[in-house]
Amino acid sequence: MTQTPVTPPPAVRNIEFKAVLLLILLAVLVGASALYVMYARGVFDETQQLVLQADDSEGVFVGMDMTFSGFPIGRVRRIELAPGGGAHILLDVPRKDAHLLTESSVFTLTRGLVGGSNLRAFTGVPTDPPLPDGAERKVLIGDATAEIPRLVADARELMKNLTTLTGENSALATSLANLQATTDQLKGPRGALGVLMGNEANAQKLIGALDRTNALLAKVDSIAAKTDVQVFGKAGVMPEARAAVEQLNSALNEARTSLKKIDGILTDAQAVANNAKMATNDLGTLRAEIDTSLRKVEGMIDQLNRRWPFSRQPEIKLP
Amino acid sequence: MYVRLINSADVLVLFRSAVAALITPHARRPPALPVGSVFKSTARPYHCPMSSTSPSHVPASVRGGALLQWFTGWWQIVHLGALILVLALSPSTYERATRATLAREVYQASAPILLWFLVLSSLISLVIIRIVVVTALSYGLSRYSLQMVVRVLVLELIPLTTALFVALRVAIPNAAEIAALRVSGEFDALTKQGIDPLRQEVLPRMMAGMFSVLMLAAVSCVVTLVLAYLTVHGFTTAALGSYTRAVGHVFAPVVILILTLKTFLFSLAVALIPIATVAYESRAAWLRMSAELQGLVRLFSVILLIEMASLVGNYY
Repeated sequence: MTQTPVTPPPAVRNIEFKAVLLLILLAVLVGASALYVMYARGVFDETQQLVLQADDSEGVFVGMDMTFSGFPIGRVRRIELAPGGGAHILLDVPRKDAHLLTESSVFTLTRGLVGGSNLRAFTGVPTDPPLPDGAERKVLIGDATAEIPRLVADARELMKNLTTLTGENSALATSLANLQATTDQLKGPRGALGVLMGNEANAQKLIGALDRTNALLAKVDSIAAKTDVQVFGKAGVMPEARAAVEQLNSALNEARTSLKKIDGILTDAQAVANNAKMATNDLGTLRAEIDTSLRKVEGMIDQLNRRWPFSRQPEIKLP
Repeated sequence: MYVRLINSADVLVLFRSAVAALITPHARRPPALPVGSVFKSTARPYHCPMSSTSPSHVPASVRGGALLQWFTGWWQIVHLGALILVLALSPSTYERATRATLAREVYQASAPILLWFLVLSSLISLVIIRIVVVTALSYGLSRYSLQMVVRVLVLELIPLTTALFVALRVAIPNAAEIAALRVSGEFDALTKQGIDPLRQEVLPRMMAGMFSVLMLAAVSCVVTLVLAYLTVHGFTTAALGSYTRAVGHVFAPVVILILTLKTFLFSLAVALIPIATVAYESRAAWLRMSAELQGLVRLFSVILLIEMASLVGNYY
């Protein structure tokens, strides 16, 4: 490098003023950024405090949001160890959002397998009285990772069972060996029959039985053919049966006619019976009249007896 | 007399030489002058014999001397930094003549490069924002993309890029100017006139370097935040609330403190180390250009350390 004296750079007009402008610009930028960050961190928000009690504060960090319907309405300000164990999570809730939280609100802390934890608030009854400043509430913890140990234990047990199942002397291995032997037998000369019967003699017997069954079926076929002729042939049973049925129909028609006649006779007999009933009623009346007449005659005879002195004085004899 | 020594091509040459010095284990280093010899151009003859011995064969006394030299070099930087800070905080420094020089240096260190650095950083930010957002979306993690963008760009990349940029564009040329003034005897002349060269020439350049880092970093961070919002949500004001909340999540008090400290330390390192290195080097050493290289290496080391410390503070 060579040093070459050069003339000074051309003078800039109002350079002091421009330098001051640059300084002001820097101050404004830094100041505005500081104000923006303070606003972003909620320094200017009027807040109320909420204390959440949790068994452990794992996954919770200072500055974390508490959401309500997916919208952040509070920010964790501090996490401290509770005197009796557990954790106290102190939140700042802006006053403008505090009305969303009521006495009956529920707070949950969920930890996912991926990503951070989530602090959520749920309000079932919006008409309940609003949550007071400094309220303490329990937080319900739903932990997906807590399931992992149980899952691992189950998986280990499953693997153990699988290992037992697929071991050298396990039932599955024995079954597979037997299946292999069976497959070998199936591929052998006796095939499936050999597998089913176990030895060749039984297989031969089965084949003989099948042959005899075939012969029997042939006989049954011939018998069926003969039966067909006997039953459905021209001189078979069926035509005669049909004729018999026709005769039976005609006999039934005659019987129906006879029954109709009997019905008429019975109707007449019913009329006669009615007449006899009426006559019987008249006989009752007549008898009543006769009874009346006889009482009158008896009364008259009594009067005659009283008035007629010829009557013999009755005597009463004591034994 | 005003001496302009370095142009862009020279910076490139310096940078290449710095890389060569980094990968060469036996860069010949001149012995540093004692602390009391600040800005005295008494060139001490320097004869460093060429040696072909490997480091393991270097005698213990020589190694001890190198260690002492290393400590001395850093002590000189710290000493000059303390002097400059004291001067910067003294109201008597800001008299009319110094104020004019200060204004000129501040303006020339920031205004000419502000616009195109802004364009450059915006382009890079846009590309990185797009990459982060699309990648996060493809993994189903889009809710974290905004925070990731703000963390990666505003907290980490922009301050670092700004520091490196100002180091190459402003601090190294300033250091070269100081070295040239010193070599040309300008400092002696000023001292004879009763003017403190430290206050008259060094302080304005250092403060200009610091201001340049802070200014560029602040503007770029704000522009990047706006670009991140526009890239993720588009031209709408509907998402301002959620965006503000996400930004609020990132900028926890500790993070803000670390960012502020980091940017300030970056600016201090960028402004101080190159100038301090050339200020204490001998004339013969400066003529071999080793002072700027040494300053560049020291600057990069310090920037790396600050960045590592900030990462540890933020994420451990």
